[in-house]
Amino acid sequence: MNNKKLRKLILVAILGSISTVLMQFNFPIPAMPGFLKIDFSEIPAVMAIMTMGPVAGIGVEILKNVMHWFLSGSPTGVPVGEVANFVTGVLFIMPIYWIFTKYRSAKGLASGLIAGTVAMAIGMSVLNYLVFLPMYTYFLGMPAVTGDSLYQMIILGILPFNLIKGVMLLAITLMLYRSMEKWILQQQKKLSF
Amino acid sequence: MLEKMIIGRFIPGTSIVHRMDPRSKLLFVFLFVVAVFLANNVVSYAILLGFTAFAIALARIRPYFLINGLKPVIFLIIFTLLLHIFFTREGPVIFEWKFIKIYEEGLRMGIFISIRFLVLVLITTVLTLTTSPISITDGLETLLNPFKKLKLPVHELALMMSISLRFIPTLMDETDKILKAQLARGSDLSTGSIKERVQAVIPLLVPLFVSAFKRAEDLAIAMEVRGYRGGEGRTRFRQLSWHMRDTAVLITFVLLVGVLLWVRK
Repeated sequence: MNNKKLRKLILVAILGSISTVLMQFNFPIPAMPGFLKIDFSEIPAVMAIMTMGPVAGIGVEILKNVMHWFLSGSPTGVPVGEVANFVTGVLFIMPIYWIFTKYRSAKGLASGLIAGTVAMAIGMSVLNYLVFLPMYTYFLGMPAVTGDSLYQMIILGILPFNLIKGVMLLAITLMLYRSMEKWILQQQKKLSF
Repeated sequence: MLEKMIIGRFIPGTSIVHRMDPRSKLLFVFLFVVAVFLANNVVSYAILLGFTAFAIALARIRPYFLINGLKPVIFLIIFTLLLHIFFTREGPVIFEWKFIKIYEEGLRMGIFISIRFLVLVLITTVLTLTTSPISITDGLETLLNPFKKLKLPVHELALMMSISLRFIPTLMDETDKILKAQLARGSDLSTGSIKERVQAVIPLLVPLFVSAFKRAEDLAIAMEVRGYRGGEGRTRFRQLSWHMRDTAVLITFVLLVGVLLWVRK
């Protein structure tokens, strides 16, 4: 086994555990439904994307959610929330990868983050409308939310929530990049083949 | 605030459920989660409840830990119960007081769904209370082995999971240390406005990332030196062994499904 491959594997694992730890510091946004919580667990995945590429980023997302499921269990038994969180994460990090690999600079990262935020907000609104909210109500055995009220819930809840989350992650990642730019570049060189 | 987070809820013990192979427990829980949805009348829900109570008794878990596991979801269960009681309007009215009307179907559905919830949470709690995360990982690796043919990197995933599990407590400690160091300088992550929290998180993340990359390098070298070369032909420190009791679990499951299919409407 190649040393760099092993090192990447281990790094993804450790970033995944950082993600899991950060996930514990979640907090709801005032005036939003309680199941929408903000946490900073996407940042290690962005770090993985910047230093090791897309597979590593997705790996961090998978690990984080599997760990979270192991350690705190899921109220529905079926990990709907974890799957939703995974999809959100992937939607957020992939645009960053596409743009950041072409323009390796603070500006490239910023545009990647903006694209990621937009992709996450729009993607999650659509997916919540079609998949996740109906799944939730199904597993909870609640009367299904449909039509106008579902539409409203998404326009007033999911969409602004993901935008706020995206903007917060954007701010943190940019600040982080500004203070660690050289180090990130150095690690990226070390880890690429 | 970190003391509040329990990492993994595993409690060592010697009951028969503790000694079972993680593979059989995992398989059982996955199948059970599906089978729960078969129940649709009083008898079938009663059987599910009775079976869960039986599993808990076999595992000899102290009720305190079970209640602890239920805490995060008890609110959700009560909420769905009330939602059904007040908003499902089918069947005859059984209770009326001023503007509150409770319908028979609402009460019935509410109780059924709450039991479904309770059973699902209790069974997964029994799994996590009696099986250590590391043996869950081992069990998952062997259960997923057939997927290797589909090019799924099962061994690598399991390796990453065990490394991840191994480092969570270490990273918790480290996060705690950094948080305290920041606290001493007057910055606090758990209070303040959103803007303040965002700013407070940067000095926490930088040292965490730097040490993560350093640790990964050290661990990679340590593993190379000891001759790690992937999953092929690797022998194991923790061996899984399948006993009669594990076969019995699966037979019990088949029987349970049979009975459920027989009594459901």
